[in-house]
Amino acid sequence: MTNTTTWARVKSPWVLHFNSGACNGCDIEIVALLTPKYDVERFGVKLEPSPRHADVLLVTGCVTQQCAERLKRIYDQMPQPKFVVAIGACACSGGVFDGNYNVVGGVDKVIPVTAYIPGCPPRPEAILDGVVKLLNALNPPKQKKQKQLEPPKETKPVVSEPEVIVPSQEAKPVIEETKTNVKQ
Amino acid sequence: MIDFTLIFRILVFPGFTFILLLTLFCDWVERKIEARIQNRVGPLVAGPAGILQPLADLIKLLTKEDIEPRDAKKTVFKIAPILAFAFMVFALCFVPIDGASVLSTTGFNGDLIVILTFSTIASFLLFLSGWASCNPYGTISSARVLTQFLGYDIPLFLFALTPAFIAGTLSIFKIASIQTIPFIILAPWAFVLFIITMQAELEKDPFDVPDAESELVGGLETEFTGAKLAFLHLTRDVQIVFGSALVVELFLGGPYGPVFFGLPAFWYTLWFVLKLLAVVVLTEYITTLFARLRIDQVLSANWKIVLPASILSLMLTVALVTWVYPLVVL
Repeated sequence: MTNTTTWARVKSPWVLHFNSGACNGCDIEIVALLTPKYDVERFGVKLEPSPRHADVLLVTGCVTQQCAERLKRIYDQMPQPKFVVAIGACACSGGVFDGNYNVVGGVDKVIPVTAYIPGCPPRPEAILDGVVKLLNALNPPKQKKQKQLEPPKETKPVVSEPEVIVPSQEAKPVIEETKTNVKQ
Repeated sequence: MIDFTLIFRILVFPGFTFILLLTLFCDWVERKIEARIQNRVGPLVAGPAGILQPLADLIKLLTKEDIEPRDAKKTVFKIAPILAFAFMVFALCFVPIDGASVLSTTGFNGDLIVILTFSTIASFLLFLSGWASCNPYGTISSARVLTQFLGYDIPLFLFALTPAFIAGTLSIFKIASIQTIPFIILAPWAFVLFIITMQAELEKDPFDVPDAESELVGGLETEFTGAKLAFLHLTRDVQIVFGSALVVELFLGGPYGPVFFGLPAFWYTLWFVLKLLAVVVLTEYITTLFARLRIDQVLSANWKIVLPASILSLMLTVALVTWVYPLVVL
């Protein structure tokens, strides 16, 4: 039963996109995922309009003072189990805007983040890779316990290796080449 | 004495399980066609060629947290989606799938009206579910559902009466089994108009104003999560199967076709599914090719064009049945 549930969750991630103050660079890359070239529907990913329907929240941009409260509210509206992916350098850490008077910082200052995808902006392959790896992390390795399934409750970054993204030079979605590691 | 054949028929073969699997399969076919027309691949990873994608979506939604908004009218909010799904499946139980309907009877005179009424009730329950969620977007979408299906129900009934007039009965089983020549040949205008009206009734493009994503976020589903959302999605998909099944029964000769060897039930089911898929492909093709109309355009098209056309179609049918068909075919 649990295996079936996990399988269903991995195969059907519905995403919601939230711009918490991005420059539109990362947003365009997210929208590029829906185009025929990348077609995330292959993996069952659907861009959902309402946070009530979503499993994965894709946040782009540093969190501004005004957006922090809204971001928290959107996150609270999503049903469990839910995951947050911070997309782009600004969402990961605040980027070049970190320390500004109107900026709170990275997304993890406000809500728990499950995966970080650095880049300015990250390539669509990298975003796709991040989401798929995040969901495959749900699949428990054979010997481990089911506890792994739960998304993190606390504001504790799960991944913090925002240094290496080596996107493939061809604009072809090759999943293995990016190096966003997702650890529990 | 429990009749195990009847229980099997209701729960497994032409009944619940078969209808559910057929619904999920049609959903996959639709998504694939839509993707291919848009030059995409569509679902690919879940199962061979992504055929298990609708099942994965369903299981995932069923196992997600179920949130009830504070302002929602709790009872209606909980019951309406499930009840709508139940009514649609119940309506499909009257449709002959393997040569007989699910209850292994040949129905009764007038069951065509009954199943059309069930589908209206299901649409009304969809309206109620959106209304009870007390979300501004859900409420607007519900109001649109109501205006649209109340308007398009009348022409749909009248177009469904065309085959009934030609067959001389209101029993859907008799209408299907009487068609030695499919009614699509005898009344092609009614077939075309029935498909168009059905698009409006099922809220598909170009008539999908109730869930216009650019205006209404998630439409009436906006506040729904988990199992309730799953049932709303299922209701929509079963409605599509039901509408297509209705076209098959009324215009394409129902499940009846040549039986080559073995069980007739097997061949009847095969013909039914093939004809159903043909209709699903046709409607999905229309859906993907057309852009959305505005709500005022949808309504004026309804009252100014489709409704008069349906009355004219009925008059034409009566004239043909009285004077022409007896000389030519019947």
